[in-house]
Amino acid sequence: MISAGIDMGTQRVKVAILKDNEIIAQSQQFSGFEPTKAAEQSFQEALQQANLSRTDIQHVTATGAGVNMAPFADSTISMMGADARAGTYFFPSARTVIDVGAEDARAVKCDEKGRMLDFVVNARCAAGAGTFIEAMARALEVELEDMGSLSLKAEKASTINASCVIFAESDVVSLIHREEPKPEIARAIFDAMAERIASMVHRLGINPDITLMGGAAKDVGFVASLKRRLGMDILIPEEPIFAGAVGAALIAAKRAGRRR
Amino acid sequence: MLEIIAETLRATIAVGLILAGILAILIWVRNLTRKLSALRLFIQIVSVAVIFLGLIIGPFGLDQWAYLGSAPKDVVIGTNILGRPYPDGLAVPTFACYYASGRTTTCVVWQLQSYIFPDYETSSVYLTTGLERLAIAFGLLVVMSLIFGRFLCGWICPFGLYMDLLTRLRKALKIRHWTLSERVNEGLRQARYLIIAAFLILSVILGMRAIAGIELISETELGRYLEIPFCQICPAKPLFVLAESGLGYMNLDYALSRTMGDFALTGWYLTSINIIILGVVTGGSFMVRRLWCRICPLGGLIALFSRVGPFKRLSLIKLTKVEEKCTKCGICKRVCPPQVTKVYEEKGGDVTASDCILCFRCVEMCPYEGCLKVEVAGKPIYKSKNWLKEEE
Amino acid sequence: MASEIETGSKYIPEMAQKEIEELGSSIKAASIKVIEDNIERMKKTWKNRAKSMEYFDEISNLFGQREKEIREQKEVGKKVIGYSCIFAPIELILAADAIPVRIGSGWYDTAKLGDRIMPVEICPVIRSTVGAKMVRLSPYLELSDAIIMPLTCDGRTKLSEILSDYKPIWYMNPPRVKDDPHTLTMWKEEIQVIKEKIEKLTGNKITRQKLRESIETMQKATKAFRRLQDLRKGSPVINGRDAMLVNQTSLWDDIERWTQKVNELCDELEKRVEQKEYSSHPDTPRVMLTGTPMLWPDSWKVPNLIEESNPQGVVVVDEQCSGDRVLYDPVGVDEWIMSDMLAAVGERYLMACTCPCFTSEHGNEDRINWIIDRIKEYKVDGVIYYVVRGCILYAMEYARIKRVLDKMNIPVYYLDTEYTREDVGQMKTRVEAFLEMLEARIDI
Repeated sequence: MISAGIDMGTQRVKVAILKDNEIIAQSQQFSGFEPTKAAEQSFQEALQQANLSRTDIQHVTATGAGVNMAPFADSTISMMGADARAGTYFFPSARTVIDVGAEDARAVKCDEKGRMLDFVVNARCAAGAGTFIEAMARALEVELEDMGSLSLKAEKASTINASCVIFAESDVVSLIHREEPKPEIARAIFDAMAERIASMVHRLGINPDITLMGGAAKDVGFVASLKRRLGMDILIPEEPIFAGAVGAALIAAKRAGRRR
Repeated sequence: MLEIIAETLRATIAVGLILAGILAILIWVRNLTRKLSALRLFIQIVSVAVIFLGLIIGPFGLDQWAYLGSAPKDVVIGTNILGRPYPDGLAVPTFACYYASGRTTTCVVWQLQSYIFPDYETSSVYLTTGLERLAIAFGLLVVMSLIFGRFLCGWICPFGLYMDLLTRLRKALKIRHWTLSERVNEGLRQARYLIIAAFLILSVILGMRAIAGIELISETELGRYLEIPFCQICPAKPLFVLAESGLGYMNLDYALSRTMGDFALTGWYLTSINIIILGVVTGGSFMVRRLWCRICPLGGLIALFSRVGPFKRLSLIKLTKVEEKCTKCGICKRVCPPQVTKVYEEKGGDVTASDCILCFRCVEMCPYEGCLKVEVAGKPIYKSKNWLKEEE
Repeated sequence: MASEIETGSKYIPEMAQKEIEELGSSIKAASIKVIEDNIERMKKTWKNRAKSMEYFDEISNLFGQREKEIREQKEVGKKVIGYSCIFAPIELILAADAIPVRIGSGWYDTAKLGDRIMPVEICPVIRSTVGAKMVRLSPYLELSDAIIMPLTCDGRTKLSEILSDYKPIWYMNPPRVKDDPHTLTMWKEEIQVIKEKIEKLTGNKITRQKLRESIETMQKATKAFRRLQDLRKGSPVINGRDAMLVNQTSLWDDIERWTQKVNELCDELEKRVEQKEYSSHPDTPRVMLTGTPMLWPDSWKVPNLIEESNPQGVVVVDEQCSGDRVLYDPVGVDEWIMSDMLAAVGERYLMACTCPCFTSEHGNEDRINWIIDRIKEYKVDGVIYYVVRGCILYAMEYARIKRVLDKMNIPVYYLDTEYTREDVGQMKTRVEAFLEMLEARIDI
């Protein structure tokens, strides 16, 4: 059984190919202005990795915010459904899956089979998503990849008053002028983000074990803040960016075998 | 032999007519908000006819007791309970007044007051001991309360029919009714227990000579009257007596003759108290629906043995409500003749109140399917329906 | 001092006549397009749509036939009495030979106009109504000779002030606690006052005979209404949006004609039940909507998403004052005497209502019971709790309702949105995820 999942994210498209529910290829590309083309390219790359051709794939399921722009798909699944499935795939004990993408974040409650029981989406605030870190990194004049390790150097966090990304940026600038140490500012940024994510999870109810997926899961600073804020450990897969695509591919495998 | 055939034939025809009447109403009355009420009216009329069967089937013109007009007391049923003679007849907890003629049953309040002394023998007519009679009367009261509860009030009691007819007259004249405030209703509810207790005690006191040989009142007609104190203020007595006199079945001279002699004045006062109370209750019931039922001590007794404590669980007829179907629209509270609020206020489950006369008007008028139910022995026999739909 | 400053000045600032006309006509054209679009979409989802729906499609045009009819009737002297909330006693309006119309606004575009003079945090229904007044868009609001405004929520309370600059407003003060001893007495007096105002405006006395006739007319309407809702209990023979449209047209249509047409529709649907001709597949997840009213035409945004997404859902019942609550409760008259009829009418509008403007010790139990009962009767798979931002009452009842539904093991999703088309994408994601969840549960 060979299935594939395409995650049409707002920043990047991700593709995963599974054979008998084992990951045999993963690929990603920046969406840019032509996400459909980017998805096709990414798909080709994944096929090459796996040494397969298009016809070998029995079922393709698409997901993500731009799911309507997928180049081809036999079926679609919501991001929440994909997340839930991926969560239990990577960690069978997972019951809460948090996915922090570039522009949105969601938390999904699932059962042991990876079925979605409830979900919460971050309503209108971009300060709970990946772009926040990018904007703050620019304000601090630090490379995005270094933000995490920078924040881990801090013992405590500075105070950021603003609740909105736009205002937070000017807050950060004034903190720099006051010569607050950068690690502490970085930590405050991650704490603020973790606060938003945590309150979203609380609306769902805390159900261990908790796993984290999406681009922000790679950032050690954010992960540390979130662990602190939730007061418990968080399970993170090796390659959290592909969680959505893997989840979609798993669903594709199930659907290929079943008549709808 | 022919007698028995004739009797059975008569009985069958009577039963047949009643069933036909019920069927006719169920089919003919299409409006679901009036069907049950029409049926109830029919049953009430049938009950009154059965209770005063003597006036219908006779025998007539017998020379039994001088005061009787043309109808006898012979049709009394239940004169023989398990081989024991019980001359006053089956005690039913409705106003099947003792003083009326042609009746088939006897009001249990009269019997209770009359037999309250197990050792008191009034005359040789009674072959059973006083204790036996009291036990039978009381037992019948409890058993009928458990089986029927205040269904007897709503569907059988002739005085209930009287009040319902007054209400129908008022409705025909398009006069609006009055309601009593909840506080007053609550007061009346408590008062009726006091009344029955008071009168039973009074009956004991005034019949003192049996116990202590003391005579509070001389052994006279008046004395005998006063031993049954409640009947002297009961509004049903003059109603039936006057009704029967009007129909020519009772000799009014008798009532008048009883006011002569020793206690002429007192007797006159007694009779007038009765009639005044009847007048007040009539006027009140014209404006307030089922006014007497709120204070009726007999109703209170029935309620005591069907709605309180252990009796509540054993009683057969119940009104139940399904909580989630109720929208608290308040229709049940508004249409209820004795202004019971429990059906409205209770969230769900058993909502039969002690005041409720089980007329089922609330169930009839509730517009939500299956919200209110009448249950007999746990089985629902009548449910509230979407009465906007006429029956197919 | 206040009177010196305030006299003569209106809440809504004067706009140039030209601007009013331009905006008015452009919004009207856009609205007609939305109406047509909605109907097209409904036809697409329901492939063999019942023929009887054509009547309702016509009446759904707010600027069409019905507006013309009302105008003509006004010319021969009939009065039009608008109302903002379904607490208003329709039977009294009908008994005085006047025309009742509901004046809630369902236009997204006018909400932006309302933004010019009110903060954005305020309920969009109110902003939209004010915006509609600014450009004289709503035919029924403009044609009203008086408006009955029950002061149920804060928004409507202040809206009544704003509209009083243009129309005579008749306030009704509904008591917020149903079980207080003086609730019914208070409401009885309110009804009496409204009755007299209606009689004065129309010049017609509300007699016993006329009131009885109008009560019976409305009872027939309720009968037809219930007949339609009963048909939604089984496998779907009518889709949610179509039923919602039928329900809502009763708010401005001629009620006797509406009743007749609904009965025709039910006749047609009953045949389909026998022939098993369904409007959606019987396995489609059955959704219940509850929350702020969804007023035609723009508020079809969320129902469109529900019934067009992949996987598809079907709305089988709703707990909204724009839908299944409109005509469900009949007036139960005990004695056909004026006092009892007025009491019955008044009580039906106050006591049977499950609006969250009521409160009591243990929460709005009437609404919770209503929802529980409907979930059981209509075999609901999931509930979408729809709240527009700014609606405090519905938002605050969510916590209790969620607990109750969790206990019943029914998924509920809190969907908050605005009078805007810009968040359709976001809404779509969430609705689709929710429907996926429901579908998966059905499979279990």
